[in-house]
Amino acid sequence: MSDVERRIKEVVARTLKIDVGRMTDESRFVEDLGAESIQSVELVAAFEEEFDIEMDDEEALEVKTVGKAIEFISKLL
Amino acid sequence: MTKENAAAKQSIIEIFTDKIKGRNLSVVLPEGRDPRIIEAAHQIKEAGIAVPIILGKSEQVEAAAQEAGIDLAGMTVIDPRDSDRLDDYAAMYVGDREDISQGVARRMVSKAVFFGGMMVKAGDADVMVAGAASATATVIQAGSLTVGLASGIDTVSSYFLMIIPEFQGETDKPFIYADCAVNIDPTAEQLADIAMASGQSAKCLLTDTPRVAMLSYSTRGSAAGPSAEKVLDALRIVREKAPQLAVDGEFQADSAIIARVAAKKVKDESAVAGQANVLIFPDLDAGNIAYKLTQYMANAKAIGPFLQGFAKPIADLSRGASVSDIVTTSIITLALVPSAD
Repeated sequence: MSDVERRIKEVVARTLKIDVGRMTDESRFVEDLGAESIQSVELVAAFEEEFDIEMDDEEALEVKTVGKAIEFISKLL
Repeated sequence: MTKENAAAKQSIIEIFTDKIKGRNLSVVLPEGRDPRIIEAAHQIKEAGIAVPIILGKSEQVEAAAQEAGIDLAGMTVIDPRDSDRLDDYAAMYVGDREDISQGVARRMVSKAVFFGGMMVKAGDADVMVAGAASATATVIQAGSLTVGLASGIDTVSSYFLMIIPEFQGETDKPFIYADCAVNIDPTAEQLADIAMASGQSAKCLLTDTPRVAMLSYSTRGSAAGPSAEKVLDALRIVREKAPQLAVDGEFQADSAIIARVAAKKVKDESAVAGQANVLIFPDLDAGNIAYKLTQYMANAKAIGPFLQGFAKPIADLSRGASVSDIVTTSIITLALVPSAD
């Protein structure tokens, strides 16, 4: 697991209050990991804070799985 | 829209404009990257309607102003990322959601729609009008997380202000229709929230006392069924939670708005039957169909949808909103600000 991947999974685990072990790259935030709509905005803010990046709101809405988040954030770093 | 109809819309908007002018209210417009927003802000300021506050990244707001051909001099433009209120807003945000860190909260409130919501919560602006460049879900989310919901209300809903050119001898008769745009199949509790929020909206927007009718295919038990039961349950909840509100049901539409029919079908005393001006539909099918039929068959003006249920006024524009739509929405949203007296 790369450093970025590990940090992303930790942020997701912390924000959604779930175990890192429950996540695969295919895990969808809403359907599989139980993110409520409020948590998904806060998840974006948590990614921004962790990596000191800025995610465009509209683009961020398209990031629906853990794998997509890794791919999307890696491109911004 | 016919000429007469345009005039009807004009007159009611003029009444609201007169109501809010001189109160020195402010409207925050978080989508300053959109030229329509700059143009609308310019018109709101020039007409003396309210003080517009434009949010956005400086470079994007400037580009939008250039595209709109408008000079930003004299306009309040805030780049949330540089605002000295950011830490205060973040602290307020953390206060409401304690399991979030100050750093993450700061990121949240530096997003324009959330920053705008925090301005309204903090009293730095009176209302927020957003949605020209954001999804409705984003505006609802931002509203819920910043100003929050009104006390006693757990559901964000929407209403239309319908202006009927000719209704039973009256000209330009206004009605509130809800919910025609947000809640697909509300529970009795949600329907009660919709009715209470609509009563509140009507109090600000209608000159007459709000008379809220809970609509159904049944009048006073004339036809049984789960949907009529739901409407009755909702009525019971409203009466318990808002005893001062004139609300009644379940009524068929004619029993609700036509005195002659009400006299026949509603035998007991009712402050609403035959004279309702706020119509609460049992679900989104009924509400949405009713507003569109009224709009086209009665040549009515449908103004909205507007969101309701928040602790302070937050409006959602459609993405296709014109400059004039943005100004009109701002005026109606500002009319919802309670007067100091």
